[in-house]
Amino acid sequence: MRILWLVLSPLIALAVGLFFLGLSRRVMARIHWRYGPPLYQPLIEIFRYFTQKGSSHGVLFGLGIVLSLAGSIVVILFLPFGGICSMSGSGGMLVVLYMMLLAPLGIALSGGEAANPNASIGISRKLMLALGYELPFLLIVLAIMTHYDTISLVDIVSAQRETASAFASFPLVLSGIAYLLILPAMLGMRPFEVVHAPQEISSGPIAEYSGPYLGLVTIQHALTTFIGISLFVNLVWGGAGNPFVFFLKMLVVLAFGLFVNAAFPRLRVEQAVRYLWRWPTLIAFVGLILVVTLGR
Amino acid sequence: MSLELLMVVALGGSLLTYVLGRVSSRLRNGFAVLVSLALVAMVASLYGKALHVSYYEDFLGMSLVLRVSGLSWLFAMTASTLGCLSVVFSLSYMKGKERTSFYYSMLLLVNAAMLGVVLSGDLLSLFIFWEIMSWSTFLLISYNGGPALAAGMKYFVMSFVGSLAMLAGLLTVYGSFGTLEFGGVAAGMLSASPGYILAIFVLFGVAFGTKNAIWPFHAWLPPAHSEAPSPFSAILSGILIKMGVYGFLLIIFVLVGLRNFMALGADGLPLHTVLSIVGAITILFPTFMAIMQNDAKKLLAWSTVAQAGYIILGISFGTSLSVAGGVFHFVNHAVFKALLFMVVGTVEYRTKGVRDLDSLGGLIKKMPLTFAVALIGVCGLIGVPLTNGFVSKWLIYKTLILERSPFLALVALFGTWGTILYSYKFLHNIFLGQLPEKYKDLERAPMTMRLPMTVLSIVVVLFGVLPGIPLSVINSIDTSFGLKPLNVTLWGLASDTGALNTINILAAVFAGLLIVWLVLKSGGRKVSVDQADNYAAGAAIPKDKYQYSVGFYAPLTRMVAPYLKDFMDSFYMRLAGWVGGLGSGIRRIYTGYVGDYAMYIVLFLAALIFVQLTWSPW
Repeated sequence: MRILWLVLSPLIALAVGLFFLGLSRRVMARIHWRYGPPLYQPLIEIFRYFTQKGSSHGVLFGLGIVLSLAGSIVVILFLPFGGICSMSGSGGMLVVLYMMLLAPLGIALSGGEAANPNASIGISRKLMLALGYELPFLLIVLAIMTHYDTISLVDIVSAQRETASAFASFPLVLSGIAYLLILPAMLGMRPFEVVHAPQEISSGPIAEYSGPYLGLVTIQHALTTFIGISLFVNLVWGGAGNPFVFFLKMLVVLAFGLFVNAAFPRLRVEQAVRYLWRWPTLIAFVGLILVVTLGR
Repeated sequence: MSLELLMVVALGGSLLTYVLGRVSSRLRNGFAVLVSLALVAMVASLYGKALHVSYYEDFLGMSLVLRVSGLSWLFAMTASTLGCLSVVFSLSYMKGKERTSFYYSMLLLVNAAMLGVVLSGDLLSLFIFWEIMSWSTFLLISYNGGPALAAGMKYFVMSFVGSLAMLAGLLTVYGSFGTLEFGGVAAGMLSASPGYILAIFVLFGVAFGTKNAIWPFHAWLPPAHSEAPSPFSAILSGILIKMGVYGFLLIIFVLVGLRNFMALGADGLPLHTVLSIVGAITILFPTFMAIMQNDAKKLLAWSTVAQAGYIILGISFGTSLSVAGGVFHFVNHAVFKALLFMVVGTVEYRTKGVRDLDSLGGLIKKMPLTFAVALIGVCGLIGVPLTNGFVSKWLIYKTLILERSPFLALVALFGTWGTILYSYKFLHNIFLGQLPEKYKDLERAPMTMRLPMTVLSIVVVLFGVLPGIPLSVINSIDTSFGLKPLNVTLWGLASDTGALNTINILAAVFAGLLIVWLVLKSGGRKVSVDQADNYAAGAAIPKDKYQYSVGFYAPLTRMVAPYLKDFMDSFYMRLAGWVGGLGSGIRRIYTGYVGDYAMYIVLFLAALIFVQLTWSPW
C-alpha cells in the first residue's frame, strides 16, 4: 500500500499542479476579459516541448534541473495529502524545510551554467526574495511546531483536526495571517513576480531553456505550485481527512493567490523584501511570542 | 605507540624539514609529506586507547602529562589529516615561492603544536603548546608580507590578550588547587564556589573564544584568513580555530563538569544561555557580512565565524544530542571549509592570484573537477541532505526545538538561508556564467591539488550518507562526558523523539533523480551550444560583458549595509589607535638631549622631596 502511494502521490501532485497552471491561466484571462487557453493547455505544451530539440549549455545545465525536480518530488513524498503521507517517519518538518532547498538550488545551478545574465539576475532575485519570505515563514513554522510540540507534519495536521485549524485557534491565528501575507511571495505570484519578470529579464532563470529542458521546467513549476499551496493547507488550515476535501481547500487558496496576482503590479525586489521583513515578520513574531509565553 | 614518540616525530619533523630544505627542495617536500602521513598513521593507531604518560617529572613540583581520550583523539585525527592534505596541496601551490622551507617547517610546527594542545594532560602543557601554536600561526599568516603583516599583527595582539587571560586563569587554578593536571583540577572544582568557577570560566573563555573567533572576539579572523596562504587558510579555518572549541569542551565537561557549568550565572540568565546567545549572534551577523564580501577568501572567512556559532550553540545546551551536534559540526566544518579554501587556492593558483569574485566566471568549463568538489563542499556548508553538514545541523536544530528555544532555532535556520546566498554567490561568481576571454586557455588543477580536494569531498558525502561512522566515535565522547548515549545507527539516529534515517532520504532522492533523468532522456534531441550562442534579445553577445556578477546581491546590500556595522572591530581599532597614540605620546619624552634627561631626574627628585616634605610617607 505504501509503495503504491509512493508512486501515486507525485503523479497526483503533478496532475493537480498542471490543473492549477491551466486554471490560473484561464482565471487570469477571464479577469482580463479574454477567453484564455483550454484547461489542458499546460499538458499540450509539455508534450510539445518533449518532442522538440533542446539546446544544452553543459552537463550541469541538465543535472541542475534534474536535481531540482527530484528535490520537489521528494518533498511531495513528505507532505500529507488529505490523510496520505508516504514518508512520515524520516525526519519530519526539518527535512521538508531542507528538501525544499533543492528545487531552487538545482534551478540556480542549472541557470548559472546557462551563462546568461538574465538568468543570473533572476537567480539572485530569487535568493534575495527567499531570504525575505523565509524569515516570516520560519517564525510561522516554529510557532506551529512549538504550539503542537512536534516536528512531524503528520502530527501537526492530526492535532489541528482534533481541535480547530491553526487559523481558527487563538495564538496561532497571527501565524495564519502572516502566512497569508507571504503566500504570494512563496508562490512567486505578483506582486512578488520579481524572479521571472518576463517583460524585464526575459523570464529570468529559465531564459535559456528549450525543448525537453523547458518541459521539465514546466513540470517543476506545476510541482512547486502544488507544494506551496499544500504546505499552507497542511500547516495552518488543518489539512483534510480525505484527498478530495484537501483538493477543494487547495483550490480556495489558489483562488486567493490569483486574485492578489491579478490586482497588483510587480514590486522591485527591495520593496518586496522590505515588505516581507516588515508586516508579515512583525505579525509572525508576535505570534511566536504569544505561543511561547502562553504555552499550550 | 607512545605519545612522546608522536610528539617527537611531530616537532622533530618540523625542524628537520627546515634543515633538509637547505639541501634540496624535492627531498624536503617528500620528507614533509612523509612526516605528515606518519602523524596521521600514528594518531589513527591511538584510536580507542586511553593513555596517560608524564613526559617531564618535577617541573616546579608538577609533572607534565600527555594523555589521549576520545575527545582528544577526534581532534588529533582531524588535525593530522587536514595537516597532511594541506602539505600535499602546498606542493603545487608553494612552487616557485620564496622561503618555502620556512613555510613547510612552520606548517608542520603548527600541526605539531595542535597535536600537543589536544594531547596535553595538564594546563601548563596546554598553555605551552597553545603559545607555540599562536606564534607559528602568526608567522604563517604574515608570510606574504604587506597587508598580511597587518592581519597577522591583529591576530597576534588579540591572541595575546587571550593567552594572558589563560595564563591568569592557570595561575589562579594553580594557586588554589596546587596542581594543573586535569584530574586534579576537576577534583578541586567539585568543592569550588560558583563565583570562583565563573571567574575561571571567563578567563579561559576569553582565550578559547578569541581562538574560536566567536563574537565579540571575531575581529582578527576575516583579514587573517584571507591574507594567509590558501593551504594554511584551510588549516586555520578547518582545525586551528577549533582548538577554541576543544578548549570549551575541555573546560565545560572535563574541568568544571557539566552540572557545575549549568548552575553558573545569575538566576534569570544562566551562563549557558549567555553562551548560546553569543552563539546565535555569531551565526547571524557574520552570515550577512559574508553575503557582502567580494573576496572569495574573505567570504569563506566570515562564513567560518558563522559556522563556529553553530558549534557553540550546540555545545552550550549540554545535552547528548546537542553536544553530538556541536562536535559533529566541528568535524564537518573542518572537512568542507578546508575543501573550499583549497578550491579558492586552486583558482588562485591557476589564475595567478585572482580571488576577486567580481572578475572571475565560467571556470566550470575549464576546471570541472574543482567545480564538482566546490559544489559538494558548498552543499555540506549549506547542509543539503545527504551531505555531512545536514546531519550535524539537524542534530542542532532538533535540540533547539526539543529544548523549546524557537528564537535560537529561528536564528540557526535563518542563518542557513543566508548561507545559501553567499555559497551560491561563491559558486556562481567563480564557476558559472560566462568565461572571460583571458581564461579560455586555463589548465585544470594539478594532481597534488586535485587529490586532497577529492579526498575531502568524498568524506563530505560519506559522512552525510553514513553518519553512523563519525557519530559512533562522537557518541563515545558523549558517554565519556557522562551524557546519556544516543541510539546511533549506521544511517543516522533511532530515537523516540523523532528519528533520522538517511537511507530513506537517499533512496527517495535517487529514485527521484533516476525518474527525472529518464524523462529527460526520453525527450527530444539535445544539442550543446557555446556560451556565445545565448539569448540576447536578438543582439550579438558582447564578449566579456555578458555577465552578471558585480554587485550580485546589490539590492539586499543597499538594504542591510547601513545596519551592518562591525562595531566590535571599530572598537578594537579605535582602542589600538588610542594605545598607539599613548605610546607615541610617551615616546616624545625621549628627546635625545642630555639636558632634558638631567631635567627629568631633577624633576623626579624634586617630586620625591615634595612628597616627603608634605606627607612624610617614608
